[in-house]
Amino acid sequence: MVGALSDLKIVELGEMISAPYCAKLFADLGADVIKIEEPRVGDRSRTRGPFPDDEAHPEKSGLFLYLNTNKRGVTLDVASLQGFGIFEKLIADADVLVHNLAPPEMDRIGLNFDRLQRINPALIMTSIAPYGLSGPYRNYRSEDLTLWCAGGVCVLNGGGPEHPELPPLKTFGHQAGYQGGVHAATATIAAVLARTAGEAGQHVEVSIQESIASQLEMTFEYWPYAKMIASRHGQKPVHPVGMMRCKDGYIYLCCIFEHHWRSFVEIMGNPDWADEEIFADGPRRAQNWDALKVFLEPWVSQQSVIDLYRKAQERRVPFAPVSTMADLLNSEHLQAREFFVEIAQPVAGTHKYPGAPVKFSQTPWKIRIPAPTLGQHNAEIFGGSLGMSSARIKELTHKGVI
Amino acid sequence: MAKLPLAGIRVADFSWVWAGPYCTLQLAYLGAEVIRLESSTRPCVTRMLPPWPDGKPGSLNRSGYFNQYNQGKKSLSLNFNRPEAKEVAWRLIKSSDIVVNNFAASVMDNLGFGYDAIRAAKPDIIMISLLGYGDTGPYREYLALGPTQVPNSGLSALTGYDGWPPMHAGFSYPDPNAGIHGAFAVMAALHYRAKTGEGQFIDMSQWECTMDLLAEGILDYTMNGREPRRIGNRDPQMSPHGIFKCLDLPEKIANVTIDQWVAIACADDDEWRRFAHAIGRHQLADDARFATLASRKRNEDALEAIITEWTSQRRVTDVVDALQAAGVAAGACADNKYLHDDPNLAAGKYWVELEHPEVGVKRHCGIPWRMSATPCEVKTPAPLLGQHTDELMTGLLGYTAAEVEDLRKKGALD
Repeated sequence: MVGALSDLKIVELGEMISAPYCAKLFADLGADVIKIEEPRVGDRSRTRGPFPDDEAHPEKSGLFLYLNTNKRGVTLDVASLQGFGIFEKLIADADVLVHNLAPPEMDRIGLNFDRLQRINPALIMTSIAPYGLSGPYRNYRSEDLTLWCAGGVCVLNGGGPEHPELPPLKTFGHQAGYQGGVHAATATIAAVLARTAGEAGQHVEVSIQESIASQLEMTFEYWPYAKMIASRHGQKPVHPVGMMRCKDGYIYLCCIFEHHWRSFVEIMGNPDWADEEIFADGPRRAQNWDALKVFLEPWVSQQSVIDLYRKAQERRVPFAPVSTMADLLNSEHLQAREFFVEIAQPVAGTHKYPGAPVKFSQTPWKIRIPAPTLGQHNAEIFGGSLGMSSARIKELTHKGVI
Repeated sequence: MAKLPLAGIRVADFSWVWAGPYCTLQLAYLGAEVIRLESSTRPCVTRMLPPWPDGKPGSLNRSGYFNQYNQGKKSLSLNFNRPEAKEVAWRLIKSSDIVVNNFAASVMDNLGFGYDAIRAAKPDIIMISLLGYGDTGPYREYLALGPTQVPNSGLSALTGYDGWPPMHAGFSYPDPNAGIHGAFAVMAALHYRAKTGEGQFIDMSQWECTMDLLAEGILDYTMNGREPRRIGNRDPQMSPHGIFKCLDLPEKIANVTIDQWVAIACADDDEWRRFAHAIGRHQLADDARFATLASRKRNEDALEAIITEWTSQRRVTDVVDALQAAGVAAGACADNKYLHDDPNLAAGKYWVELEHPEVGVKRHCGIPWRMSATPCEVKTPAPLLGQHTDELMTGLLGYTAAEVEDLRKKGALD
């Protein structure tokens, strides 16, 4: 069986998260992805770690190794005249170019669709930009933190009504980059389908800010519909919903519907206090949450997470553990589904990584090769595919072009 | 004129709430005909959730939540307690390319719409189930809601203020994340079908799909046997890197004071020095306490206090303007009103403002990409419940007007 996208050739000019994650989604379904990195320096994610034994090393960064599976890697200074010429040869027969060079950087090196389309009229060029390719913020400096905030989600998380003094809280990792990447992958595969159906190659432009703003649940609409500002400071409409400490970790209580609460009371052994009028329904339990906590916390603190989780689920109550990394790696369910995959990379060694986002019945998601070492495929691609002599490769390497 | 990428593709959309509708929203944006199978006896939860104009539900068609995530789709209202309704659904499935659902596990099987039955009726169908735990494994039947898969995925253990308990993400992040990955997966399967004629089943676990965003945390454990420490808004390789208080909005809104915050990140020593000059504290640029990343990390509390002293006396827009002019990564921690008024979003073609029969013209979030050859556009607002029932029944599904009348009398059309 082959991957669903095994006939596609993709060139990635990507750094950190968004373009590399976009290209990884294609690569893991079989596409041939050539990743271009800056000579000597490489993708910034090579500096991010985590590193085995905390030893920083460009070939051992967990983030890089995860994001660049199934890709072949070359080094090329596309900002140089000669480098851009080689870049043009690489994209001459590619289906897709995906990049996340910021717009000012695109201007500087002259990367634009018109120019590339002359070389490859069928090319799909996907540009992932922090704030889009036009508009007043086009040239803004950004990091993942500022984009997560710009899209309007970060303000929703934080100390809650009890701690209004605390700042909005960033969600772990590089979520803005991931969302830019997966939204770009969606638009890009659509452009591939359009081309198969007879439409032209095209320029696909993805805004990370807009990708995040698209995920605001009902909170954005509170302004146009009700002239209200959605805030982390608000009280929850029903309770108990949220994390609570058990004897061996935390559990997420989730009594959205009344039958969830009744089942939870049953699990607790039907204590008398649960009959109090002030706890009679979800809204009243929310109003009287301080009082309810006084009864709940001592009981929950004596439970083990997994026992309470199972007891709740047996009664169709959607509690969940606040999983630690160990919980995830040891989960019988995730093991049965073979979610984590072991990947051996010659320098970094063998480690377990998160695996397939979905399972296809006919076309497997598969790790064929680990992430490339810096310039690993220079000879194979510049020499083999592009037919450059080894003397020429040596000369360009010496000049710092590759 | 160019056809949209999914022109001619039909989606039988059994999904509800958020994950599935976010998946099919993308397909609608891209030109697919998305037909939501709905029911007035068991309406989509989001039809009953706020916000509503004037704060009152009024009907099942006035929720901003539903109207946001169902733009460009059609609504066919059926009552699956009636066998005739299932026959209608079968006609739709047989004329569809894609079936999407995000019910709890086994619900589709119990309705008679499991993958095997659907494939038997339409061999090249592409079906995706976006489940909390996935379609196999010992927890297959476990219940999940959007908010529960945040802590379950490990995201909460990794997110939080330094020294505090685990925190949530503030929204049901696994839902849209599953939806968008699902949309990509469905189109990958369409690409494969175009080459081979074969359909397939796509098994999505929202739990797993969320873990794909957490590799840094998971790998710290698999490489070093360590549970990563929660570090709030800070970053091991950038300083300053945080969210800082600005002046409150000058006017209260709905009698509430609205706090405003700015995110600031300096990726290297140069950016830090630009920052120091931009806030007029030129001596800080040469201050040994802050000269290198290592020294800034050592003195980060003091550094953040200095920044807060500056930001807290200023409006967020002034802070952003000053810092961006100096080439420093800064941006407002936008709330929904801020987004609504954001000049960058206004300059693009992002917002959708269409006339809706029950709520009028309201601004909705739109398509986060532009395509030069096949420009996507939202052409119709979210459907009223059952808005397209008659049109689909007598058109696509081939019933006569008399048959439709009969089915309605029998209660099959809900």
